[in-house]
Amino acid sequence: MASQAADARARAGWLRGIGAVHEESWTAPGLRRRLQLVLAGIWLLDGVLQFQAFMFSKGFARMLVATAPGNPAVIADPINWSAKIIADRPTATNAIFALIQVAIGLGIAWRPARKLALGASVVWALAVWWLGEGLGGVLNGAASPVNGAPGAVIIYALLAVLLWPGVADRAAPFVAGRFTGANVARALWLVLWGSLAYMALLPATRAPKALGGMVSGMASGQPGWLASLDNHLGAFGNSHGPAVAVVLAVVLTLVAVSVCLPRPAARAGIVLAIVTAAFIWAAEGLGGILTRGGTDPNSGLLLVLLALTFWPLGRAVLSSTGQSDAMAATRLESPEGA
Amino acid sequence: MGGPSWLAWIFAGLMIVVAAYCLTRLAASWRQHRPTDHRVDGIHVLMGVAMAGMLVPRLRVFWVGGWEVVFGISTAWFAWLAIREFRGQRTVGGRPGHHLQHVLACGAMLYMFLAAATVAKAAAGGSGMSGMAVGTAHVPTLALVLAFALFGYVVWNADRLSSLAPVAALAARAVPVPVLARASTGGGASFAAADGEDAPSTPGPQALAGRRVPLSPRLAVCCEIAMGVTMGYMLILML
Repeated sequence: MASQAADARARAGWLRGIGAVHEESWTAPGLRRRLQLVLAGIWLLDGVLQFQAFMFSKGFARMLVATAPGNPAVIADPINWSAKIIADRPTATNAIFALIQVAIGLGIAWRPARKLALGASVVWALAVWWLGEGLGGVLNGAASPVNGAPGAVIIYALLAVLLWPGVADRAAPFVAGRFTGANVARALWLVLWGSLAYMALLPATRAPKALGGMVSGMASGQPGWLASLDNHLGAFGNSHGPAVAVVLAVVLTLVAVSVCLPRPAARAGIVLAIVTAAFIWAAEGLGGILTRGGTDPNSGLLLVLLALTFWPLGRAVLSSTGQSDAMAATRLESPEGA
Repeated sequence: MGGPSWLAWIFAGLMIVVAAYCLTRLAASWRQHRPTDHRVDGIHVLMGVAMAGMLVPRLRVFWVGGWEVVFGISTAWFAWLAIREFRGQRTVGGRPGHHLQHVLACGAMLYMFLAAATVAKAAAGGSGMSGMAVGTAHVPTLALVLAFALFGYVVWNADRLSSLAPVAALAARAVPVPVLARASTGGGASFAAADGEDAPSTPGPQALAGRRVPLSPRLAVCCEIAMGVTMGYMLILML
């Protein structure tokens, strides 16, 4: 009771601090809502990155065209078609893209629009996955866990589905399963991490010097600490590339199956997933954000967020977060909360 | 490699609108004795003007080095308020508030001005956001961390937006919801506690003031959001 009163006072202080006087209609975000807010923040970052000068140049269109080769014509032709449109009108098209992404981020964060924004994010992510990322290189053999496969943007769509604020939540031992159900969520996790494990064994990653070259290539234009880290990782990859790829595949497989294990093992698996995703993010050079050429933070950061949605919860936490989200939904339906 | 100039003008225009609106909030609060957070509105006026000047050099209104002093002091002041807040003590204006985001915003402004000055020196005469972005920011990783944190506050504020009452709803209430405790002193946020711990026990000028409708809390948060997005954009340009 004392902690609840303290929480209420803290909220009151914050709301009064910004001139708000309607504290009773606000409920602290539950765990799922907090994860939605993190997703919203990443979308917002993505949108603002799209406002960088490079994105308004024809170089952006050339970057998109580069994802087409090696894909079947049915995939590649629309990529070339859309890239041509972007190349013809780079300013207008990129401004629209950036605004859409910023709107998705703010929409997810604004409670009345969160479902609309999450739905829009799925549609947008699928379109970008095809037309902007060439399906993440999955079909042209270029996909590797350390170059963003299976496409960072498809993870946005996956997160939107797993964090969808359903009307009636299902019982699940982790947040990701509350809308789709635990088994469907586990299946999606298995497919994603299992495919990453498979890709780690493909020539694009396992060939000698392939992994090292990929990681070293990320060092260019990065600040000193990140360039140094990527150069060291790249050098190690050059000398032990195939072995590292196999170890990576084994780790990714362990992560994939961990969600089907009992809670303590599942938690260890999620920790391993977070560490692996952080390693992937570092190897990706944080998506090139610090080089002024990154369009998004790439897959590593999103994999960390995805792993958090699968964190096995205790019973007490499960019931309290469910209650909190339900209260928030009820408040939203009231005239003043909407 | 700065952003397109038309985009800089749009963001600068947005900041001028925000600064002008916050100035009118301060004026309305003073003239009509309507509650608002004077410190936050005041810092938004300064930030809006400063950011417009950074984005579009023609809009600069301050001497070189002046903004660093302003935001250095603001950062320290809000940091002190935040520390007091965390300790659960009263702040100077009478009410504790959530000041951490203002520490962050002022700190980000200070960082941008210091980084811009460094780059301008290196570029010998470079000015404005485009000039600022010619070179790499002093510590680009810090710029990214600040941008992350600002976006975090933007989504946090957006999450609370729908729970804030519109002014019409506040005006329609019969009971005095916000009680103006220290309007005459003019310092900082001046709401009495909703739990009544500071509510005046006898009717009088304070009780009358309690019936005054606060300035739109929703628009205040919208200003925070606009500022956060613009500041994040500027930090990303500085990477």
